[in-house]
Amino acid sequence: MNPTSLPPALHFTPPAAANRVEPGRPVIGVRGLDFFYGPAQVLFGIELQVREREILALIGPSGCGKSTFLRCLNRMNDTIPGAHARGLVEIDGHNIYAPHTNVIGLRRKVGMIFQRSNPFPFSIAENVAYGLKINGLAKNRSERMARIESSLRAAGLWDEVKDRLNKPALSLSGGQQQRLCIARALAIEPEILLMDEPASALDPITTTRIEELALELKTRYTIVIVTHNLQQAARISDRTSFFLMGRVVETDSTQRMFTNPSRKETEDYITGRFG
Amino acid sequence: MASLNPALSTLPLAAPRRRAWRRRIFDACGWGLCGLAFLCLGAATVWILATVVLHGLGALNWKMITQGTVGTGGGLMNAIEGTLILALGGIALALPPGLAAGIYLAEFDTGWLAPVIRFFSDVLVGVPSIVIGYFGYVTLVEDLGWGFSAAAGGIALAIIALPYITRGSEMAIRQVPREMRDAAYALGASDSRVVMSITVPLALPGVLTGVLLALAIAVGETAPLLYTAGWSNFLWNGHLIQEPVGYLTYAIWAFITEPFASAHALAYAAALLVTGFVLVISIFARLALDENTGWRRRMRG
Amino acid sequence: MKFRHLIAVLASVVALALLAIVVFLAVYSWPAIRMNGAGFLRRNTWNLGNLYSDPILRHGREVMPGASYGILFLIAGTLLSTLIAVILAIPVGVGAAIFLAEAVPAGMRSWISFFVEMLAAIPSVVFGLWGYVVVIPFLGHHLYPWMAHHLKFIPFFAGHSGSGYGLLTAGLVLCLMIVPLITATLRDALVTQLATQRDASLALGASRFETLWSVLLPGARRVLIGSSILATGRALGETMAVLMISGNALNYLPRNIYSPISTMASFIVSQLDSALQDPTGIAVRSLAEVALVLCVISVVVNGAARLLIYYHGRWSARMA
Repeated sequence: MNPTSLPPALHFTPPAAANRVEPGRPVIGVRGLDFFYGPAQVLFGIELQVREREILALIGPSGCGKSTFLRCLNRMNDTIPGAHARGLVEIDGHNIYAPHTNVIGLRRKVGMIFQRSNPFPFSIAENVAYGLKINGLAKNRSERMARIESSLRAAGLWDEVKDRLNKPALSLSGGQQQRLCIARALAIEPEILLMDEPASALDPITTTRIEELALELKTRYTIVIVTHNLQQAARISDRTSFFLMGRVVETDSTQRMFTNPSRKETEDYITGRFG
Repeated sequence: MASLNPALSTLPLAAPRRRAWRRRIFDACGWGLCGLAFLCLGAATVWILATVVLHGLGALNWKMITQGTVGTGGGLMNAIEGTLILALGGIALALPPGLAAGIYLAEFDTGWLAPVIRFFSDVLVGVPSIVIGYFGYVTLVEDLGWGFSAAAGGIALAIIALPYITRGSEMAIRQVPREMRDAAYALGASDSRVVMSITVPLALPGVLTGVLLALAIAVGETAPLLYTAGWSNFLWNGHLIQEPVGYLTYAIWAFITEPFASAHALAYAAALLVTGFVLVISIFARLALDENTGWRRRMRG
Repeated sequence: MKFRHLIAVLASVVALALLAIVVFLAVYSWPAIRMNGAGFLRRNTWNLGNLYSDPILRHGREVMPGASYGILFLIAGTLLSTLIAVILAIPVGVGAAIFLAEAVPAGMRSWISFFVEMLAAIPSVVFGLWGYVVVIPFLGHHLYPWMAHHLKFIPFFAGHSGSGYGLLTAGLVLCLMIVPLITATLRDALVTQLATQRDASLALGASRFETLWSVLLPGARRVLIGSSILATGRALGETMAVLMISGNALNYLPRNIYSPISTMASFIVSQLDSALQDPTGIAVRSLAEVALVLCVISVVVNGAARLLIYYHGRWSARMA
């Protein structure tokens, strides 16, 4: 947890293979994070590490602060009036709450998938192109089309939509919309993906599709996923962190967490005694 | 309801008969009076519209919209042109600050400034239009020496339209789902990017509806123009100042009190044009803002 | 400059417009305010003086001899016509709102409401035209003589019934102009009231009208008060319709409900031409003082209504 042990001087640049840290090295380090909505404190002294190319699942009962914590990692909470954080959140060795942090660069590097799929009411192609456009990532039309295609392929959506890229995104089914949102996030080549209950509004079959996708994406991205569904956490995550009332109760490998939790509260939650 | 059922009133549990009757009479009177109030309102609406339409159709003809006013007769081409110039000019002037205020109130409602602007805007709606007209007369016509002119009239109408555009844009921008903003912010968009590429474009139909309603208000105004725009029998010569312009509402007010049939025809035709324009915009806005037919449907997947 | 600040600067124009109106009117009318003093609101004579003689000095200011500026009759005309309009508009507005919210089927409600609330969109000058052409002949020749004869036991209903131009006509037309404001707001409030309250009352054996009267309407009380104050503000400042139907009385306090009157707003329109004849300019500045008084009144009335509505919004948000 010592911040000095985190790799220094990785600026917010797109991930090139050369300056990738070794698998298993921590890319997110959180120390003593308190978070407030106005006067109300909702996170208390969070300590957590996320390692490269792992899936970390955040579980816990409703209102325990998982989603708030997730939104701290790309400073999406900045858009809520009166919300503020105290403590240290380091991504690639940089405290993202330091003054003069480039929040826009941060969000480029840390993509986010929301609970309710939220495609823009544009066409499918324009949705994926939006991030490219605002970040100036495609020099010309062919490059843009190439990146749209590769993002849609990575999200497993290409074959379903390749013939109707100019159709409205809202004409897609719920699961397709969510995968489109994933493609949109992938298009700007983030290093980290934050997923806030990405499958909670979807049916079981579509949920399976999203879970498979998360496992595929793990080979290239670091993923932090909030989920209500313990089976989902067990199926896809490498490690799991249990939140309760704004605190991290414990973080451990998913297998150990679900078979032999070290804390009583965790066991109670996992065995369904509360929550 | 049950106690009013005659079959139940024989049950021992039912209220005493006299009390049941009192309640029934109270109910009937209540509904009756409410219906009467509604009928009064409906009848007045029909009466006013019928007056305007019947007299107006009798007066309106091709000559009316292709000729200028001559004395107390002729046509209304000068007034139609003037109304369009003044109203569109006023809206064009009011649009940048009004839209900015709408954006500010909807998107940046955090500090002290937003409540202050909202309060001033809401109070400005209630300031009588003649006060705004006299303000225009004192400052623009007199102090700046512009005389009765398109510029003075346009600015007076802009002040009238400002709070309507502000309120309309704020409402429209607030309708854009929060998820759209979140998605854009999460992709690394800045404040200006989110507003300019997501919220304003998505709210544009609503913003335009608000602008149209403000245009309807501007077209129907008289008092703020009497001592800023003046009146002219001639087509506008393009001078922004020192050149009075005519407008339809003036024709209604000034010509109905003249003792000539030709003057009355001008007033009725002008009333039909103004009322028709205002009502068409209102109906259009109603359709556009309706839950089921309107633009908001686009954003619900 | 950050985008947000740029937007803030542009947005401030809205607030500055209102400030500018008050400040410029005050500055312009300042000489008249000093000369007229507090008597401006109490005197009942608006007289430009003898325009054919030489100006004399009064309070260090040139005025025409015999000039006197008092607006008591305007205050009386404005307040009385507004009072009549609001007294009539509240019951009609409440009744129509109840009818629209509860008696009209939900599918038709939106369009039927739109039809009656369309009155609010009709321009003031069209109301004036309608009043001038249709209503005044009817009232002046038929209804008012009948009322003056048969209802003379009611105070202020007796006496000369006049020509139709006057206080009651202005009040009636103003009433029609402001009723839609009350109806629209109250109807929304009634429709959106909690279904649970309604069900609770019905389950206790109350009839639908009793439920409305004793549960839903009290719940919408603050909305009704707020919208009534806003409607009052609108009636106080209405210009064109009143100008065309009120009789434009000068220096005359109404004796009965048929008397001709003037309101502050309509007086500004009807008097500017003659005020411009005053070579000392004090008449035009006194007219600006009328506009300033009207502006201050409307700012106070509208400000109060808005604060009431804002407060209510916060209050109900806290309860939710």
